Amino acid sequence: MNITMKMKKMAIYSLFLGLLSFSSCNMFQIDNYDSPSETLQGEVVDVATGDPILTDQGSEGIRVRLTEVSYGDNVTPNPDFYCMSDGTFQNTKLFKATYNIRIDGPFIPLIREDESGVPIADETQTMKVKGTTKVKFEVQPFLKVEWVSEPTVSSGKITAKIRVSRGVSVADFQSKIEPMGNYSSSFVNVTDVQLFVSYSSSVGYRARDERWSSKIEYTGSAFNSLLGQTVTIQSTGTIPSGRTVFVRAASRINYDTPVGSGTRRWNYSEPMEVLIP
Amino acid sequence: MKMKKIFIFPLLFVLLFSSCYDLDIAPKNAITDEDLMTNDAGMDIYMARMYSYMPFEDFKYMAQWGITYRGWLGCFGISGTGEAVNRDGICRTFTSEDTPYWSGAFTLLRDANYLLETLPKFKDNFEEDMYNHYLGEAYYVRATVFTAMAKRFGGIPLVTKVIQYPADASDLEVPRSSEKDTWDQILADYDKAVELMKPTSPKSGYSNKYVALAFKSEAMLYAGSVAKYNETVTGHLTGLGQKTGVRVIGFADDEWEAASKKYFTEAYKAAKEVMNSHIYSLYKKDWKANDPEAQYQNMVDMFSDLSSPENIYVKEYSYPTTGHAIDGYSAPFIFRAPLSSGTCPTLDFIELFDGFNRYANGGIKVTDGNSNTEGNYLMYDTPMDFFKNAEPRLRAYVIFPGDEFKGKNIDIRFGVFTGSSPVKPLFSDYSYANATSSYYQNLSAYKNKPKTLYLSSNSGASQELVQYNGDTITASGENGPFYGNGESCITGLYLRKWLNKNPSFEAADGKSEQPFILMRYAEVLLNAAEAAVELSMAGVTSPDGDDLLQVATDAVNDIRERAGATLLTSNITSDNTGRDIVRKERRKELAFEHKTKWDLRRWRVLHYEGRDGFWGEERDKDIYSSNSNYRFRGLYPFFSTATGKYFFDEHFQAISLKTFSYSPLDYYFAIPSGEVSKSLVIDQQPNR
Repeated sequence: MNITMKMKKMAIYSLFLGLLSFSSCNMFQIDNYDSPSETLQGEVVDVATGDPILTDQGSEGIRVRLTEVSYGDNVTPNPDFYCMSDGTFQNTKLFKATYNIRIDGPFIPLIREDESGVPIADETQTMKVKGTTKVKFEVQPFLKVEWVSEPTVSSGKITAKIRVSRGVSVADFQSKIEPMGNYSSSFVNVTDVQLFVSYSSSVGYRARDERWSSKIEYTGSAFNSLLGQTVTIQSTGTIPSGRTVFVRAASRINYDTPVGSGTRRWNYSEPMEVLIP
Repeated sequence: MKMKKIFIFPLLFVLLFSSCYDLDIAPKNAITDEDLMTNDAGMDIYMARMYSYMPFEDFKYMAQWGITYRGWLGCFGISGTGEAVNRDGICRTFTSEDTPYWSGAFTLLRDANYLLETLPKFKDNFEEDMYNHYLGEAYYVRATVFTAMAKRFGGIPLVTKVIQYPADASDLEVPRSSEKDTWDQILADYDKAVELMKPTSPKSGYSNKYVALAFKSEAMLYAGSVAKYNETVTGHLTGLGQKTGVRVIGFADDEWEAASKKYFTEAYKAAKEVMNSHIYSLYKKDWKANDPEAQYQNMVDMFSDLSSPENIYVKEYSYPTTGHAIDGYSAPFIFRAPLSSGTCPTLDFIELFDGFNRYANGGIKVTDGNSNTEGNYLMYDTPMDFFKNAEPRLRAYVIFPGDEFKGKNIDIRFGVFTGSSPVKPLFSDYSYANATSSYYQNLSAYKNKPKTLYLSSNSGASQELVQYNGDTITASGENGPFYGNGESCITGLYLRKWLNKNPSFEAADGKSEQPFILMRYAEVLLNAAEAAVELSMAGVTSPDGDDLLQVATDAVNDIRERAGATLLTSNITSDNTGRDIVRKERRKELAFEHKTKWDLRRWRVLHYEGRDGFWGEERDKDIYSSNSNYRFRGLYPFFSTATGKYFFDEHFQAISLKTFSYSPLDYYFAIPSGEVSKSLVIDQQPNR
């Protein structure tokens, strides 16, 4: 009885001994690499006016792509993240390293290549992120969307007066985009004006309430005569009275960023709070 | 202490005294080339392995899961194609697959390439035609794998030889080719398969020349459409790979047109060759002219009849080893075993078919007003009266409320209305925007007392009861819809196609063994028709001298005649209207066969800007869309006690409402990120 017990113990010991001697010694070390705690703060502004580029938080907004270039030849970018709706972004969990920072949004692309992939321009920024690092991108937005007056409310419908104007002239747009190939004069056409309504203050395409948000679509260059003019747009459905909602107007041109994605991103107005009486 | 030694000695013995004999014999348990590739029996085994890994979309495929060969939730058309919806998370737009078709593809490619490289060593062991056929099968397998990948990713690594391992990284790593080169390789492989394979399958399960031709026409139609319709999307969905500079998706501005013409021509020629062989024909065994009942029965029977002359390639199953679960998941609620209602067809889908009264905008009429919010409900003695003129094909695909299935009346009723007649529409607003807030159980007619609307949240004891003519009847039908149970009939309609119609069959997980038709003659006709119209629109002269538009018209009319649908009285025209006649016919005929999701993808009609063409015909997308989002409707029967009749309400999916979403990025799936990050040559999609 006693002997068999001992044999069993022996067997277990020798098994453990075997396992341990074959395993890596790293197994016993503590991961002493610093946790990712560096902060990158960025803002995206209009190069002409210094105004922030307002956007939507989500994959239709301004995309921020970080690529750690010190890592090696074949780097996969970090997971993408998106600007906040006021056109700023922040990532507080980065490793101390050198990053290439690229943003894509409703503005002239920072990276421009011709049809065969030959670089024409690269306005991305590469910097060492350490502590709190700030970065500022000065871009040329496609459009500028502004409120002309306070939205008015009547029987649960919001009527907004907005003005859409070009942030970059057609000539300037063409001079920068045409060398990328496949240029079409239809790129600069304004295709639609949107009025997003939501209970949330972070109102935008993603946070819109489909019951009340509305849009006006324009074919071809039909909007050209309305550039800089007052456009009136009304919400749909009936918003219950006594509620406070937030509204934003947005507009976009017939050009996708990044090229080939088919994603046409909107330029936005400031959000506005509206009380439904 | 002694015991310790006893242990240590044997250990030392084992470690120190290794064998000195050379083990120079072939291992008896390893199967060698000589075993497999020198005789037909061995080749059967080799083929069986390849075929078991084919990326076929059958009962064991689900769009959400990808190619995983799992069939325990058998259902069709639920991936945002509008054919059907269900309650579960798998009911989602086809924008990615849980298991991307990547590594599994390369395993099968290796098998095919290995066969191509090794079989020539044993050429003398086979009759020449069988030797050629085997090589043809390998090309066919390769073409199938490349096609499955190209439809998902665009340009792919074209591995056309066995890669020896170990080897230099430069030999092991194959970058993605351009999308154009990929489709050209697919074309070449199909052509080799067609050239080498026998005209009839040597054995059941094997392919043949016409199988390859039929699938070739399907693949080339996809390629031609992508080349052409990429141009309709902003940015043209093209770009160069970051690592290689290769155009891994889409077509260059100066090449898309020629490529599109070339692929459509190949699709046309391949389909015509199958037609001209006169080996296959549309199934019309029980069909009779001017007899809707016979036409309906004919189309019910054709999907389970293995002797059907329409079948070009069929996958068979057998219980208990390889059964599937279409009946275990998609049968009506009363046949629940263990699940039910996995495929509930939509109202939007049945609007494609003939035999209904319509509003001016084309919608099916349920009231006597100008739209479903106006006038009074039309009343029917039985729910089936509503469908009495419905196209026989639709009745063969979809179980209507009150129709028969497995010897039982399929009782479908959302509720009972006890208010006075005539009955006004239950809602004032049926719009997309209102879909999330206007449910039947929120109606004041249901909530207030005394109430005039009775609904049930579930079956059995949860059924609300209504007194009617001295009897007690349940508020909802035996199959629901029950507003609290997503496993009931959530659209008011059920799938009939593919279900086992034998009343004595008791369904269970993996117990179904109906065959799945992967390729049938009707699709070949539709491929020919669509390619013909596209060629005609592109100004290409007929590749075989036949009148292209006549070919298209005849093909559509042959299918319509068999279906019991209204025939075309004039020839299809060479424009978008003519093309849409073919597209709509295809959407109808090939519904619930895993094909529609690819058609919508290649037509580029899933994203918001292109969505007017979503139904194969022009329909105003804003009725069921809000930007990238979209939803589908059900057709809900109610019983009115005041009249003893039934009326129907059209409403966005009133139970387990699904909102689908699609953006242009989704036309090319992302390359699995692990494959991109571990390789120096594999490019991610440039537009992502």
